[in-house]
Amino acid sequence: MKRPAFDSHSGTGAWIHAIRRDRKASAGAIIIAFFVLLALIGPLFVGDSTAPVGIPLQPPSAAHWLGTTGQGQDVLAQLVVGTRTSLAIGFAVGLVVVLVGAMVGVTAGYFGGRIDGLLSLLFNVFLVIPGLPLAIVIAAYLPSGPLTLGLVLVVTGWAWNARVLRAQTLSQRKRDFVAAAVVAGESSARIVTREILPTMTSLLVAQVIGATVYAIGAQVGLEFLGLGDVSAVTWGTNLYWAQNDSALLTGAWWTFTPTGLCVALVGFGLVLLNSGFDEITNPRLQLERAWRGYLEKEGGEPSSSTPVVMRRE
Amino acid sequence: MRYLLRRLGFYLVAAWVALTLNFFLPRLMPGDPATAIFARLRGRVSPEAMQALREAFGLTGEPLWRQYFTYLGSVLHGDFGMSVAYFPAPVTQVIATGFVWTIFLAGTSVVISFVLGTLLGVVSAWRRRGWIDTWLPSTLAFLGAFPYFWLAMVFLYVLGFTLGWFPLGHAYGDDLSPAWNGTFIADVARHAILPVTTVVLATLGGWLLSMRNTMIAVLGSDYVHLARARGIHPRRVMLRYAARNALLPNVTGFGMALGFVLGGSLLTEIVFSYPGQGYLLVQAVRSQDYPLMQGIFLVITLAVLAANWLVDIVYLWLDPRIRDASS
Amino acid sequence: MRRRVRTIAPHLPVIAAIVLLAASACTRKQAATPGGVLVVSQEQQASWIRNFNPLTTATAARWPSLAGVYEPLFVFNSIRAEYVPWLGVDHEWLSGNRVLRVTTREGVRWSDGTPFTARDVAFTFQLMKKFPALDRRGCWGFLSGVRATGDRTVEFEFKRVFIPGFDEVAAQQIVPEHAWKDVADPVTYANETPVATGPFTEVRVFRNQVYELGRNPYYWQEGRPRFEAIRCLAYPSNDRANMALVFDELDWAGNFIPAVDRVFVARKEGHHYWFPLTGSSIFLYANTQRAPFGDLRVRKALSMAIDRDLLVDVALYRYSRPADATGLSDAYSAWHNQAIGESAPWMHHDLARANALLDEAGLARGADGIRRRPDGRALKYDIVTVSGWSDWVRASQVIARNLREAGIDASVRTYDFAAWFQRVQEGDFDLCLGWSFEGPTPYLFYRWLMSSATVAPAGTASMGNWHRYGSARADSVLAAFEREPDPTAMKQLSDALQQTFVDEFPAVPLYPNPSWAEYNTARFSGFPSRENPYCDPSPNKFDRGECLIVLTTIEPDTAVK
Repeated sequence: MKRPAFDSHSGTGAWIHAIRRDRKASAGAIIIAFFVLLALIGPLFVGDSTAPVGIPLQPPSAAHWLGTTGQGQDVLAQLVVGTRTSLAIGFAVGLVVVLVGAMVGVTAGYFGGRIDGLLSLLFNVFLVIPGLPLAIVIAAYLPSGPLTLGLVLVVTGWAWNARVLRAQTLSQRKRDFVAAAVVAGESSARIVTREILPTMTSLLVAQVIGATVYAIGAQVGLEFLGLGDVSAVTWGTNLYWAQNDSALLTGAWWTFTPTGLCVALVGFGLVLLNSGFDEITNPRLQLERAWRGYLEKEGGEPSSSTPVVMRRE
Repeated sequence: MRYLLRRLGFYLVAAWVALTLNFFLPRLMPGDPATAIFARLRGRVSPEAMQALREAFGLTGEPLWRQYFTYLGSVLHGDFGMSVAYFPAPVTQVIATGFVWTIFLAGTSVVISFVLGTLLGVVSAWRRRGWIDTWLPSTLAFLGAFPYFWLAMVFLYVLGFTLGWFPLGHAYGDDLSPAWNGTFIADVARHAILPVTTVVLATLGGWLLSMRNTMIAVLGSDYVHLARARGIHPRRVMLRYAARNALLPNVTGFGMALGFVLGGSLLTEIVFSYPGQGYLLVQAVRSQDYPLMQGIFLVITLAVLAANWLVDIVYLWLDPRIRDASS
Repeated sequence: MRRRVRTIAPHLPVIAAIVLLAASACTRKQAATPGGVLVVSQEQQASWIRNFNPLTTATAARWPSLAGVYEPLFVFNSIRAEYVPWLGVDHEWLSGNRVLRVTTREGVRWSDGTPFTARDVAFTFQLMKKFPALDRRGCWGFLSGVRATGDRTVEFEFKRVFIPGFDEVAAQQIVPEHAWKDVADPVTYANETPVATGPFTEVRVFRNQVYELGRNPYYWQEGRPRFEAIRCLAYPSNDRANMALVFDELDWAGNFIPAVDRVFVARKEGHHYWFPLTGSSIFLYANTQRAPFGDLRVRKALSMAIDRDLLVDVALYRYSRPADATGLSDAYSAWHNQAIGESAPWMHHDLARANALLDEAGLARGADGIRRRPDGRALKYDIVTVSGWSDWVRASQVIARNLREAGIDASVRTYDFAAWFQRVQEGDFDLCLGWSFEGPTPYLFYRWLMSSATVAPAGTASMGNWHRYGSARADSVLAAFEREPDPTAMKQLSDALQQTFVDEFPAVPLYPNPSWAEYNTARFSGFPSRENPYCDPSPNKFDRGECLIVLTTIEPDTAVK
């Protein structure tokens, strides 16, 4: 039951170690940790974010650090409360998207044949149908709210993960340890959950992160269009209201700039974390890193050359 | 050729799925589209007028399967029904007013972004850890993390509204009439700069990164080393050997990305009041103009499918292996 | 390094060209519009679709097809509260008020030169009878026949005596018989090249972003309109239209604009606005068929709990004022009885008395501060409102907070328009925000607030009276109103209606909506204003023809051209 080397020592400790070793990943981790913390405890400090607390559209001041919205609410409070809802939906959808993608992808890849043909057709079709218009159409028919939003994002987002995970399953399926398990008479469910899925841990984590980036972006976009629950406080609805309350016309840049920056920071943080993972878990990039370290130690110049020699095992 | 036909078959299946989704979605969901007609009137329509309208919109009590085939038939004939918001204009007429502009905006953006991103990716991979490779991918990834429409809002606010360098909206000046002359084309370009820049900035990073990463992989392959060892000029190695091969996955990605970019450009259109499908779609949603909404979705989907097929043709041309295998 | 640069070098010219193009185009055109063309933004559309059918339903028939291209029989001036003879010059009631005879104007021609006659009026009404979808005002609900009795007279036969029916007949836009008699389906007819009597009838330009209507060469008002054409620009949202307004690209608009003094007026000389409070009145409707809202004390308590000053500040940027007890807007200034309006103490924010009234109604507070009905059920309600209607959402938020202070656990629930509309029409709500029905007299207004005839059973959709309140007292006054053509007697009946409303308080008036109007005097002068209030200033007031008065009054600034 030999598994690929880089997963044999997987465990929380190893992951943290790996993240800390990589500059990009640690930067990403710090950004995400900050926002998660903000989402968890921030709302406790800012009070009721929907309460009109001042004159509408006031620029940042000592009383309201980020000014007030077109409805006289505190922008900072809305930002902080929005962080909680947006991240919650983002991570939840990210997980579900990968879960659905994994169920379809792994089933297709493991069983092959007709099942594979049918499922592959399905996710390939969903991949070419443009997501945003489909999302808008579905969201338009359903009552607005977080559930609708989640459903819409899952429907339009799962296909990519299914495709990637199918390919990965297909390659794992051919490995010796799977064949051994099949010969040993283990059930398909057990082989999938015990043998195949664990080999894909790092890929799955990367997929969840990627799907979360997608979920947050798409969520903000749909809510900006007014397709979310506009009375909820989220990043997307904050931007929706900024636009609705003529932020540009009145020059109220403070009503939309902080939210946009936060969306970008979280997205960027997740991307950094993911690229860090990639460098950690992708054996080729790992070897390259070692090669560079070796060159530096030897006083050579880390140039454009790629360590082909070392790549051959 | 067989390859292209097989792809065509696939796109036909995809189109059928989109059509079927389009048909069943409104019928599975709660609510009655006819109530939407009240929207503009704020309730001053008499019940008799409502009943007459209901019939005009084809909301009949036929069995579902029959409605389904009627629907498929009429779509095949290019009949998408009547718009509610623009009643009694047919959906196709409404869509036609802005379709060219959406294709123009999305097409220009995606091509510029793809070409520029790919080139930068090549440069970045070739000169690994040079300043381009160090700074550009991260910067672009950061820019790419911003919502499209947010970048658009900032551009519009700073460059359009505050500084007055660019027009605030529309695809060309209101006092010009469309014609193939310099003035008009320049005006169209002037109006397109901000929206196109927005989409390009937001998507450039993706092309750059994927090209860079495949390039790095290709640069590590034997034939590249062999070419280098044979003393072939480095630029030739980079372009003819490495880039051409690394391009293949990016071209596949191009097809996938079309739908994504189109979605983003719809959002951008809204911010810049660009007269394409984007605002039309949102307006259709807000006024519960279901026939129009579905028509737009369908047309966009078909356009993306068609573009994907074109990409397949390009792919075939680029990758001799498939060409040979299929002939 | 140099090598790498060269690889992108071939593309540099392209990039440079783009940048240069951008730089060369860096000056925004300053209002190149000639003085003879009035540039307007009245409604927000992503794209124009060519349709000048003034009869078709709801969405397609709008300004300037109504009250621009086509004209009604009589125009109602809501500021002066009087009818202005237009295509009709006179009317009288005959046969015991069962027949309305309208005399039409002499010398009016359609834009193709054909004379306009009373037969065109009769034709228009017959068309509406044949195609009920065109009868938006429900005229055939009270009419039994319409016929021209000469070139200049047309007689409307009524099913019963119904004096308010005149208001609906007067507002009907008239189409030419000779151009419309062969139209197979007038409901879906796009009427791309209109033949009409209005001041602007010739479609000079039509594109998806802009269209232009040139003046009618045969217009019946000598020397009017005083300018060449109106140009309508398509903006997808209020915000974009307002930007155009701020940058002098528009002469006249009817948009909501926040902080108008700072954003628009202070920016440049010539920027003006006037927001008279003549829009529809906004109410908090409590479903009177559901306990405890059938109790007058509870409705009064709701009213006292609401801080209307804060409400108009937050929801409407102080463009409006708190409503008085009659609920009537300034459009009814001729009818409004101030003494009655000020007679109700429950129109003032008074939390202590609201609490006392609720206690008295047997709705005591529980341990959690939330009031309970005698059966122990907590007063927990949603205020249902329309998502995206930001003024309403803001108002609902203020009300919800106010009600919570009075021990009513209220929260705001937003629905899409269709879902919301279905809910309120079918009476499936506890509290909601809603509009009022408008007419030249308070008849329609109060009919839809408290006539038993307008109470639909719960679950059945009803156009108005969503709170489902019927008053026997109101019924008898309304019945008298329907049969009363004498203005002095009508005034008394109107007072009685107002008194009935205040006494029975079936719904909670919040504020009157302003009528939005911004104008730029750089190129045109003569717009209605606070100083010269000759009619409503908004291009949105086309329903009863009012903006025709503006179109035929304003003139281009001769200094410009």
